[in-house]
Amino acid sequence: MHSNEVATLVKKHVDDIRIVDDRCLFATSDKQRLENILRALRVQKVTHISAITGVDTGNVVEVIYHFDCQPAELNLKIPLPKDDLKIPTITEIFPGAIMYERDLMEMLGVKVEGHPDPRRLFLPDDWPEGEYPLRKEWREKSK
Amino acid sequence: MTFVVPIGPQHPALKEPEFFRFEVRGEEIVDVDIHLGYAHRGIEEAFSRRNYKHNIYLSERICGICNVVHSTTYCQAVEQLAGVEPPERAKYIRAIIMELERIHSHLLWLGIAAHQIGFNTLFMLAWRDREYVMDLREMISGGRVHSATNTIGGVRRDVKIEHVPTFLRGLEKLEQSTNYYINLFKSDRTILARCTNLGVLSKEDAIKFCTVGPTARASGLKTDIRRDDPYGAYDALSFDVAIERDGDVWAKGMVRLREILESIQIVRQALKEMPGGPIRIRVGLQIPPNETIERTEAPRGELLYYIRSNGTEIPERVRVRTPTYGNFASMKSMFVGGTIAEIPIVIWGIDPCFACNDRVTLVDSRTGKTRIASFDELRRWRK
Amino acid sequence: MMEVVNFVINSLIFPGLLFASLVGLLYVGIDRKVTGHMQHRIGPPIWQEYLDMGKLLSKEDITPGPAQSLVFNTVPLIALGAIVAVMLFLPITSAQPALTSVADLIVIIYMLNIPAICIMLGGYSSGSPFGASGAGRYVVQLLSYEFVFILAIIAVVARVGSLSLGTVVGYQVQQGWLVLDWRLLPAAIAALIAAQGKLLRVPFDIPEAESEIVHGALTEYSGPKLAIWRLAYDIETIVVAGLLAALFFGGPTAYVIGGTQIPGVVDFLVKTLAIVLFTTTLRNIMARLRIDQALKFYWSFAALLAIISLVLVLAVP
Repeated sequence: MHSNEVATLVKKHVDDIRIVDDRCLFATSDKQRLENILRALRVQKVTHISAITGVDTGNVVEVIYHFDCQPAELNLKIPLPKDDLKIPTITEIFPGAIMYERDLMEMLGVKVEGHPDPRRLFLPDDWPEGEYPLRKEWREKSK
Repeated sequence: MTFVVPIGPQHPALKEPEFFRFEVRGEEIVDVDIHLGYAHRGIEEAFSRRNYKHNIYLSERICGICNVVHSTTYCQAVEQLAGVEPPERAKYIRAIIMELERIHSHLLWLGIAAHQIGFNTLFMLAWRDREYVMDLREMISGGRVHSATNTIGGVRRDVKIEHVPTFLRGLEKLEQSTNYYINLFKSDRTILARCTNLGVLSKEDAIKFCTVGPTARASGLKTDIRRDDPYGAYDALSFDVAIERDGDVWAKGMVRLREILESIQIVRQALKEMPGGPIRIRVGLQIPPNETIERTEAPRGELLYYIRSNGTEIPERVRVRTPTYGNFASMKSMFVGGTIAEIPIVIWGIDPCFACNDRVTLVDSRTGKTRIASFDELRRWRK
Repeated sequence: MMEVVNFVINSLIFPGLLFASLVGLLYVGIDRKVTGHMQHRIGPPIWQEYLDMGKLLSKEDITPGPAQSLVFNTVPLIALGAIVAVMLFLPITSAQPALTSVADLIVIIYMLNIPAICIMLGGYSSGSPFGASGAGRYVVQLLSYEFVFILAIIAVVARVGSLSLGTVVGYQVQQGWLVLDWRLLPAAIAALIAAQGKLLRVPFDIPEAESEIVHGALTEYSGPKLAIWRLAYDIETIVVAGLLAALFFGGPTAYVIGGTQIPGVVDFLVKTLAIVLFTTTLRNIMARLRIDQALKFYWSFAALLAIISLVLVLAVP
């Protein structure tokens, strides 16, 4: 699917869409509608999730899902306020996301609800609870 | 009764520190658990503390083997953020170096795979041929491994006209020996006995676990970012995507060997069709707030960079998803049901390139229990 | 008195410990050099094994905690002793070995298995999963090659009609090499294949497959104890080659070339070197098999060769 086809597909579930070019687009949604988007993508035979990125923008952590829609890459942003850092797991629909979600949990402290294996991935086991190295606060502290 | 066989963090089958905990019954593997993080260097955080120029060299140091593809992806992403287009000639030079890197990476894979199945002669021969590639890379970029050729807005060194004949001779030699290895791979009975029907990743599992690169292609998935989402000069270059259907270690090797031949063709084509002109344009480092993703096909598969800029010389956030990271999820389905003898070659089958840090697992052999020692604990022992 | 002195000289100097170690280390050094050239490397100098031995012997003797036991510490010496003892039963200078008995082939078969059993004991007592795994694989490998090896020897014994190695060599002086006898050719091939497994060379280096189980049963050994293991292994190389030479390739023969007397020991050295180089070639052109594949190979193809030979010897006079 090319960018405009993906855009038509997810339009009713997202707030705004920015089409960069034929093979890249950004969309913003929220976690209530996330599952609808995943199901819609799945019906269109989108099976590959390239990565999950978490970005700390101050008061909000943006979780960005990168879906490979062959050839277009859909970047789906879910902003989460810092006082409610919870998001449902997508591993039931995209099992390949299991590692990326573990990464997201330990690096940014986003709680992925229903994850089958919520252990740490990269950080050592004696890493203190509640310290998330990719958060803005952590950067201030470690300077 | 099952017992635990620890593979790693230090083990002859692993070229980098990583820990695999296998539960085995007799020789049969019943479960596997992968612990990552032994070489975690905090690169993503380091990216957001340096300016765009310094980050080129940081991105090159993520991986020793596929460094050019990392710096190319990074530079392409920053060029997109800044809204500039590098000169055509620079794109071709990047493609040449990236393909040479793919050849050298796949030959390295072949050598170590041969070592894992105890075929040391093939190991030495493959690495001898890898030297040709390194020499070619040195000739055009000045570095055998770390080329440091890329810069934002183009490349720093040009391919000189007098290099071309030497180049073609080197490619000729490589093509001959690759054809020889392909024959060997198809006919040698001990190789066939050790590589076929093990570590099988079915096409369904390959799709399910989002595998990338040669690992996916060996299971019959026709994915190749160079073809699906062309970047740089790949739009203009023609090549085939090598795929195999069996999904076993043999198929993974065959895909890589055939890709070497394709890469040789791409380099020849690029040398012939390379346009003249400048090799770089200047780009200011103040990049307006924007965000972008860039995907390339590294020797091990899809490589993804996500960069967000904030108007300063320093990026807000850089996310790197390396191909091996994408392939780890599928490892369990390759191992379970296999035997201990298969572990090294199956691990090596996905061509892992570990990146990540700081802990050691100890196995107490009297109780069979494992425990993790922290870095502080290790420091105490040293005293 | 003379007998005692003779025995001491035989077991410690010639053809015992000193001679066997010098030749064994040299041959493995040659093997490594040839391997290097086959792999387009320069390879180590041929005296590298002597240097390695000196290095290992000068190191600190460390026994890991879980391996603290009498078995772990003594098996290297038992293995070395057994393999040097076999040296005394081999015809080296002439058809007559330093020690003889009525049925020395049976003694040789038994003694040759002692190092293998020692390696297993060492592996199991080392308390390391790699050691145990290597020892387990060694048991399976022993079960596979030993049957073939013994069958091949029985074929020779049936042909010659004697269990004494001296008689086998004497028979070949009169009748020509046994490998040239068409009935025994399959047995000779089977014995060479079995020797490849006995010497743990590719494709049968499964018990010490370094990329899978580090160094198998010997993983926890280091320093002087490892040096003794290496020495035992290197002597085993020449012992197995010498046994094959005596069984199928005529054994040591003294020649007279141009008026000079060439002693039998030269012939022994040439023949064993040729056999060692043959195994070297084999190990450089193959990949390692898996243990089940090796077992299957030995019990089907190699055993079949040996049985064919035995049947031919018994059926065709």
